[in-house]
Parts: sequence; C-alpha cells; structure tokens
Amino acid sequence: MSVARVATLARVAVVAIAGGAAVAPCAAVDVNGYLRPAYIGMTAGERGPLADANRIAPGTVETTRSGPEIDSELRASGYGLSAVGWLQAQRQEGDRWRARGHFDELYASGSVADWQLSAGKKIVAWDVGYAFRPNDVVEQEPRRLLLETTPEGRTLVSAEHFDASTAWSFVFVNPTHAHSERFAAEPAFAARFYQRDGAVDWHGFARLGARTGASVGAAAAWVASESIELHASARYLQRADTLVLDANAVAAAPLGLVRVDPWTATTTHRIAQALVGGTWTNAEQMSLLGEAWWDGTALPGGAWDGWNARSRLLASLSGGPAPARAIAGNLAWQGSAFGASSSLRRANLFARLSWQHDKWQPAIDMLWTPADAGHVITASVGWQGDRVRVDGGLRTYGGPSSAVLAQLPTNRIVYVAGSWSF
Amino acid sequence: MTFPIAARALVVVSLLGVAIGARADDVSALLKAADKYRMSGDNMQIDTQISVFNTDGSADKERRYVVFAQAKHQSLVLMQSPAEKGQKVLMLGDDYWLLMPGSQRPLRITPMQKLLGDASTGDIATLSWADDYTGSVVGEEPCGEPVQPCLHLALQANRKGVTYQRIELWIGKARHEPVRADLYVQSDKLAKRARFVMDKPAAPTTVIEMLLGDQLTNKKETRVRYLGRKEHIVPEAWLNPMFLARNPALE
Repeated sequence: MSVARVATLARVAVVAIAGGAAVAPCAAVDVNGYLRPAYIGMTAGERGPLADANRIAPGTVETTRSGPEIDSELRASGYGLSAVGWLQAQRQEGDRWRARGHFDELYASGSVADWQLSAGKKIVAWDVGYAFRPNDVVEQEPRRLLLETTPEGRTLVSAEHFDASTAWSFVFVNPTHAHSERFAAEPAFAARFYQRDGAVDWHGFARLGARTGASVGAAAAWVASESIELHASARYLQRADTLVLDANAVAAAPLGLVRVDPWTATTTHRIAQALVGGTWTNAEQMSLLGEAWWDGTALPGGAWDGWNARSRLLASLSGGPAPARAIAGNLAWQGSAFGASSSLRRANLFARLSWQHDKWQPAIDMLWTPADAGHVITASVGWQGDRVRVDGGLRTYGGPSSAVLAQLPTNRIVYVAGSWSF
Repeated sequence: MTFPIAARALVVVSLLGVAIGARADDVSALLKAADKYRMSGDNMQIDTQISVFNTDGSADKERRYVVFAQAKHQSLVLMQSPAEKGQKVLMLGDDYWLLMPGSQRPLRITPMQKLLGDASTGDIATLSWADDYTGSVVGEEPCGEPVQPCLHLALQANRKGVTYQRIELWIGKARHEPVRADLYVQSDKLAKRARFVMDKPAAPTTVIEMLLGDQLTNKKETRVRYLGRKEHIVPEAWLNPMFLARNPALE
C-alpha cells in the first residue's frame, strides 16, 4: 500500500471517528523510534532445484541477497492518532543503495460509549503461540524473524469492548481490497472473544473471508505454576489458499518442460491447524520454549514427494537434448512451492532455549520437520544497553537431501546489527 | 502431679496464642503505617526511575517507568526508557501479562518471567506490604543512618505471587517509616538488601528512594527513585490484558 493511499485512508478514518467518537485526551505527542544499521550475509544452498538451476545455467535465479542495510522506525502518537513509519536503505551484492519505506501503522482511534474504535493501517495480532499462530487471522504476522521488526499493519476498521475480564473485538480487514486478493490481503471480517479465568486465558475466534469463507478457532494460555506456562490453539477452515502443480500441463509438455510456472493458485477445503506448546523459566532467567504444530494449509507429504521426484527428473535432463535454459527455468519454478503456505511441512516441532543474563541474551532454537528430518537451527546473542542494542547470530538450514528445508535457496544466514533507540 | 503440668502447658499455649494474635494485629497496623510512606492512597500513578550502579559505583543503566498501582493487587507498568519504550506489564494479583511494542500482542507470562534484571517488576509495582505479608515483631533494635530505635519485623508472604517470600523489615519505632529490609526469594536465599531514603529524615512523610543491593549474583546496587506520585484511578478497561495493545492516554 502506498504512503499516499494510507494517508488518504487515515484522513477518512480521522473524520469518521471524530464525527462520533471521543478521542482519547493526551497532553503531548509522544515520539520515539530507533536507527539500526545491520549486515546480513547469506550463503546459497548447494542442494535443491534452485541450486541445480544455477549449476545448469548460472544466474537463472537469485538465491542470496547479502549486504548492509539501515533500518529506521519512528513512532508517534497523540490526539487520537498513532503512526509507525519505517524507512530502509539497503545495498545488496552487485546493486546500488536503494531506499524504501512505508507506514507500519497509521490509524485514528477513539471511543463511543464503551466501545473502542480504530480505523486506518494497524497491527491487530491475535493468538497465543510463538513460532506458529493459526488464529492470527488479521495480521498473519511472519514468525521466527532474525531481527525483531515491527510487522506491517493491515488496513482495517475495528470496534472493541473491554470490561474487567472479557473483551470483544470485531475487525473488517482489507476493506478496500479486491475479493480476488489472496492470503493475508483477502478482505475479511474477523472477531475475537477473550475471557480471563484466573490462571487461564480463553480465546475464541471467527473469520469470514470474501473468497475463502468461514473459519473458527479457539486458544488457551494457562500459567500452570510459578515457572510453567502452557498454551494451545486450534482452527478449522472452510477453505484456504495454496498452490498446486498443474499436473496436466506438465504431463502434456515434452519431457515435462513447461513454458510457464506450473505452480498455480488454488483453494483447499476443510482444513485444520493446531498448536500446543509451553515455556519453562527458572529463577536465573533461563527459559525453554517448546511447540508442536500441525498446519493443514501446507502442502501434503505426497505433493512434496512429487516435488522431489520432479526436481530429480528435471536435473537429470541436463546434458541431454533439452535446452539448458529450459531445464534451469523449470527447476527455478520449483521454488514457487516454498510460498504455498506459511509452513513448509504440515507437522513441525520447535524448541528454543534462551537466557537473560544481565545485559546479555543468548538463545538457540531449532525447527524440525519430522516427515523429512529437515531442520533450521538459529543461534543468537543480544546485548541491551540504555540506548544501544547489539544483535548477532547465525541461522543454518539442513537435513537429508530430500528434506524441503535443506533445499531452500539460502543455506546459511549470518547477521549483526546495532540499534540506537531515541 | 502430671495434670497440672498439662494444664499449665495449655494455659501457656492459650496465652501464647492470644499474644501472637495481638502481635499479628499490631504487625498489620505497623505495615499499614509503613506502607503509607510509599503509597499514600489505594490507587496511585507513580513515576519511577531506576538507576543501576556497578560495584565500583559507575553507572550501569537507567530505566523509567510509569506505574499505575491500583487496589486489589492490580498494577500496570508502562516502560518509558528508549530501550524499552512501548513495553507494558500488567499484574492482576498473581497473574501477569507482557506486551512487546513490535507485536501488539499481549502475552501471558509466569511469575518467573516477570523478574526483570536488577529491579524486578515486583520492586517497581509492589508498594505495599500490609495486604501481602503477615508476621511478628522480633524486637526493638537500633537501625539506620543516623542510628535510631527501630522495630524489627519478620514477615512471611500470604500469597504465592509476590516477588519475595520472606522479608525482614526494620521500621522507625516512633513514626513507623521503613528504614531497611532484607528480601528473601522462594528458596529462602537473601536476594536483596533494601534501604529507604525519606524526604525529611527528621520528620519523614514519604519515601523518595529505595536502594537495593543485590546479594545473589552481581552485587550491583539499584536505586529506585520515586519521581512523582498522585492519586489516579484507571478505567476498568485498562486492567484488561487485551487492552494492553491499545495506547492508554498518559497525563
């Protein structure tokens, strides 16, 4: 969404809310933010169809984007308006410095009777999980990022009601988008009910997408003891967006070499997503998080088996009569399957061990996909001063050659960042 | 005669019970009096600055908080320092939630997770002892600088969610202002030693600083300075965990 479009939307929202709502009083505009120079170094994977594509015809697909970047974020709020602006200057290998920016949030808020109203671009994040959130049906925030980054909010209108222990939220997200938009960009109505019951938080969710239809979900977070928290979340979807290989097109093409990306948008029906997890924290501030989840929107095991078989078949054509560019292009299109869902495999296990020791925060985590023994391991350390924060870490992808995670275009990421808050 | 021995023992136990009961009442009144020096009303907004010093006296870090300490063990802490701006912690009795500004998603956290570095959220947001502790008067002892007659109180937490399970507290004998305290965690280890700095030592009306010496790990000293206090009853909605994602208007 362009800045101009958001600004227009915000003006409309301000007028709408100011027309009938009491804007929260505020003595002054509150401004803060950060500036964060960073270097991201990526190493290309040597396994998988994208690596094969570049081996057969170098430069077919760009697999790594290393280079320095400077991120900045400015937050301001007051007089019923809130804004989070983001600017980034980035220079990736072989390219010049490029700048881009947008508002992560820009919205007006106020109240009518006991209802809290908001309109504009806003982050509305729901659900109880860490690495996977099936009921984050509005924001659909990317998970397990290397550096803590404010997600880009969605354009929405919301009404919320809070009392001592319950909350109701109603959201119309992406109201200006076309009905054909997919994934998080789809227009939808969403609702959440929250109930606090002593040591347990209960959540109920419902979403009605313009194209994907209805879904319902529930979640709970329970502080079981002084050091243990357990959480669970489940969602049932009428339909979900995904991708599928156009088998007919592939079968009809000579040697299976098609002329357009054979991975096409489709919709799957009657899908379930579920997550269970927990955290344990001791007095020394060492914390262990474990989560397991099933994501029915991810491609099924059979689809990945077919994907592996097609990748092997395409790679085997090298040196034969087929043009190298055609083989490489078809291998590169195999990468489209990585974008079918937020999870690559349906069954996932995740564990994270972290320690808060004075100003230092070391952590190590691992995502494991039991179906193919693929894994992602991330080790990181952060140092927090009064205004300066330094982060560094390493993420590696691995597993057997048939594991999806081992065939991603990037095999290793190292990063270092220093942020200055104001 | 065996019976008189048992009877005497019964009488002693009964009298002891009466005495302990009277002491408990006394302690409750003493704690309420001591609490008034830190929290003059049931519902307060307290602006707090925390400065941490290394063992050599050099400055280590500084944080600022706005604390809405409300009746019935309800507190909302808004982090104000650049490094933590936008973070919020809500404490409702023994239940805790944290909001990080990036996600705008309130997280349920355990009592262990609420401990934050050199000054725990409990140090910042818990400003009363009378509701959370029971105990007895150990005796009269000199304490403080300058030395003054003090009452030594041994306190035990009466609910599990408090940061310190046991406190040895010394209060001024004449005015019952807090002077110093030894703070013990669940394992009965001495975690911190606290000293209280009053506004007017000769005629104290309020605590202006609490100095916490770490006894467990890094031996650093934390200075909790109360920059401002005022009566403030927050709307009921502010104490709903899901409201953390909204911006409360600060005055």
